[in-house]
Amino acid sequence: MPIIRVENLHHTYQTEAKRPVQALRGVDLTIEAGEYVVILGHNGSGKSTLAKHFNALLEPTAGKVWVKEWDTQTRDHVRDIRRTVGMVFQHPDNQIVATIVEEDVAFGPENLGLPRAEIARRVDWSLERVDMQPFRFRAPHLLSGGQKQRICIAGVLAMEPEVLVLDEATAMLDPQGRKEVLDIAWRLNKERGVTVIAVTHFMCEAIQADRIIIMDEGQIALQGPPREVFQQIDRLRELHLDVPHVSELALAMHQQFPGFPADLLTPEEVAEAVANCCEEGQWPIVNGQRSTVNANEDYPNADHTLDRDTPSPPLPLSQSPNLPISQSPLLSLQHVVHYYMRDTPLEVMAISDINIDVYPGEIVGVLGHTGSGKSTAIQHFNGLLRAHDGRVVVLDQDLNDPKVDMRAVRRQVGLVFQMPEAQLFEQYVGDDVAYGPRKQGLSREEVRARVQHAMEAVGLPFAEFKDRITFGLSGGQMRRVAIAGVLALEPRVLVLDEPTAGLDPQARRQLMRRILDLQAQGITLVMISHNMEELAEICDRLYVIAGGRTVMEGTPAAIFSRAGELRAMGLDVPDVTKVAEALKARGLLPAGEVIYTLAQAEDAVARLLAQRSGAEGTGAA
Amino acid sequence: MSEFEFLRNVTIGQYIPEDSIIHRLDPRTKLIGALLFALAVSSTRSVIATVLVLALLMGVIVLSKLPILYVLRGLLPGLPFLIFLFAMQILFQGGNIPCGVTWFEWWFVRITPCLAELVVLGMLRVVAFLYIVSLLTLTTTSSYLTHGIEILLAPLQRIGLPVHEFALANMIALRFIPTLAEELERTAKAQASRGGDFGNAPWYRPDIMARARLPLIIPLFVNALRRAEDLVLAMEARSYVGGKGRTKFVELHFGAADWVAIALSLLVWLAVWLLPWPTLRTWFPYL
Repeated sequence: MPIIRVENLHHTYQTEAKRPVQALRGVDLTIEAGEYVVILGHNGSGKSTLAKHFNALLEPTAGKVWVKEWDTQTRDHVRDIRRTVGMVFQHPDNQIVATIVEEDVAFGPENLGLPRAEIARRVDWSLERVDMQPFRFRAPHLLSGGQKQRICIAGVLAMEPEVLVLDEATAMLDPQGRKEVLDIAWRLNKERGVTVIAVTHFMCEAIQADRIIIMDEGQIALQGPPREVFQQIDRLRELHLDVPHVSELALAMHQQFPGFPADLLTPEEVAEAVANCCEEGQWPIVNGQRSTVNANEDYPNADHTLDRDTPSPPLPLSQSPNLPISQSPLLSLQHVVHYYMRDTPLEVMAISDINIDVYPGEIVGVLGHTGSGKSTAIQHFNGLLRAHDGRVVVLDQDLNDPKVDMRAVRRQVGLVFQMPEAQLFEQYVGDDVAYGPRKQGLSREEVRARVQHAMEAVGLPFAEFKDRITFGLSGGQMRRVAIAGVLALEPRVLVLDEPTAGLDPQARRQLMRRILDLQAQGITLVMISHNMEELAEICDRLYVIAGGRTVMEGTPAAIFSRAGELRAMGLDVPDVTKVAEALKARGLLPAGEVIYTLAQAEDAVARLLAQRSGAEGTGAA
Repeated sequence: MSEFEFLRNVTIGQYIPEDSIIHRLDPRTKLIGALLFALAVSSTRSVIATVLVLALLMGVIVLSKLPILYVLRGLLPGLPFLIFLFAMQILFQGGNIPCGVTWFEWWFVRITPCLAELVVLGMLRVVAFLYIVSLLTLTTTSSYLTHGIEILLAPLQRIGLPVHEFALANMIALRFIPTLAEELERTAKAQASRGGDFGNAPWYRPDIMARARLPLIIPLFVNALRRAEDLVLAMEARSYVGGKGRTKFVELHFGAADWVAIALSLLVWLAVWLLPWPTLRTWFPYL
């Protein structure tokens, strides 16, 4: 018997506004016990609404949902349903009830009215499952996002559910935290037979699933095992989803060299396939001869890479480490030290030796995992934090000098925080963007011109958006409003702290394009991100921060050539870099070759395969 | 030093982990002890007795192994209130206390030795209260405090008071204080990065001052409400349906040290309350 059965499910949200929102329109679905199912879809596709029906948090507008033999609409079995289907949500912070980890884990079993000894056993067991035993007496707000989310999972496990639903539970986490959560889900599924239903908009999380269900417009658009689904690249793009670079690489190779398998999921599989082909040369070459170098020409719709529409010639200084002496950096952090809660018993050294130089016109990426001190570091750029030691020079002013006018500095160096949409406050979009210019005391016309310019720079047409209600926008739009609010100050430098975190792939791509546009307009950019692919694609130079220190600096090529070191630091590298590493380990690629974009990987693998077929005497012209 | 670190000087509500006798006491003991000390301070009119209680409190700080200077600095946020209290009493109280001697008199202001005693006593009491409360929270996690309060108030459940709900609401509030403080700090920084400022209005225009703070307050409220909605969902998903039928995971242990501590606190209260402590008048009967 299936553990969850959904029959012609409709759900309509009644909003205060006149028109009701049809979130689900006729979903039929069965989920078997022990399955690992991933539900994908862009924002607004109905995937989270569907998930909330699995444990009776929502009632169907029409249709039926059964959990085991219980109908979720008759409310008699709500308790049974909720102890069968446990659910973890997006924001770890908003699910934790107690001020001590173990007490939070105990919250569910307490609600079930279990005896104390049994609660204690379950708390131990669940904390063990998520590897959080050492943290059981900690205060949750002192943990990292990934750790908090693991606590939330433990809290659900303590109710001993048969189904674990992760409702975008990884969206707010860094790569490390995401991996932690996915590993646990996978282990629970494989070792304990827990049915896992993961709702996400990250394609790469779907690789470990038995089945992928793709939602669109409140209906199931596509479903099947990952290997089958990932081959339908064009269909996935239509649904505003990303395709994992590995699958895309495999498919591209398959189209050039039909003998190459198309349904590969992991870097290791790609390397394996390349190795097999190279050794055996086992395929008939058909259409691979001509286009081994210009691999991209065959795929005009490969719009995943952010084409720089205006290919501004890269500034020489940002490319070469030998900077001309005459050029001085716009921003410079030299041996900067900063403590939090200084002079209290809770004092912690947040950063101990940060060195970052930013030159005019470049995009600098800052990477490091959560807690490495990168957010602290960039707050020195506009004087929000003052260095406790070391020098901060911004636009030729020493910020340690108390006479410096910080407000003037802040107008020149715009800083956009993580989740900046959380700081919007005006009812209308135009007013919110106008906050900064108005504070500056500019004339009405000037304010209007600035707001118009800023909104258009982030792709929000002024006439259409200025009178929209701020809180009625989508997440991606709100984020762009927040960025426009900083751009309206006409800064020379824009510092962005994780600008794409929590956005779905489509919104992320749009935002990245806007960032490149800004560079073309002469704005210097500094960007923190966890997304390696993103940094590799748009940055001129990268800094790596670990343990409060700058540990690496250089072009993306230079940084990603040290992939091993990055991984040792707990940082992720782009998937295509992993492919390259696996190929190097097999001696197929020279150790010196650096690959960090899909195009580079396609080139290199195509070259390898073409060489092979050339050696066979069947191939290249 | 930093204009954005809001929580730095507030010792009330902070917990500093330390391995001391005071930390190990049962939260109920500490709550009752704090109550008894507070009673002691408010049940005497003697400056000397109050100073003695303060000295005992310093002793407790030493026992708790907390950094003394840090604890003492916890008084700073209370300072404006102390100054206000001081000014009010000096201005308006003098006429109300009959006293034989007057040092200074002008219109309605009358300063006498008796008033001086009252003012000093008032100050000392406030200082003592502040230290009692911060000592309680510095040595007890908020979670244990909540459990302590819940158990101590449990008898009230019988007359229909929602003690469990009160305790849970209290716990959730405490749980979200650091989260919201962090959020406030981030919002202040973000608005400052957009050219905002929050303190430049003249003091006689509180309306402008309040308006200037809207960019901080609105996001804080919007986000707090959003969090509340999420939390309700998460609690429901974990089968929360109110206090009925719930069991408790945390057990408190009342030991010998607790009995001793309560006995000592009781002794302090009784001693302060019942012994004939000298006041100004015992030394200067002619006042």
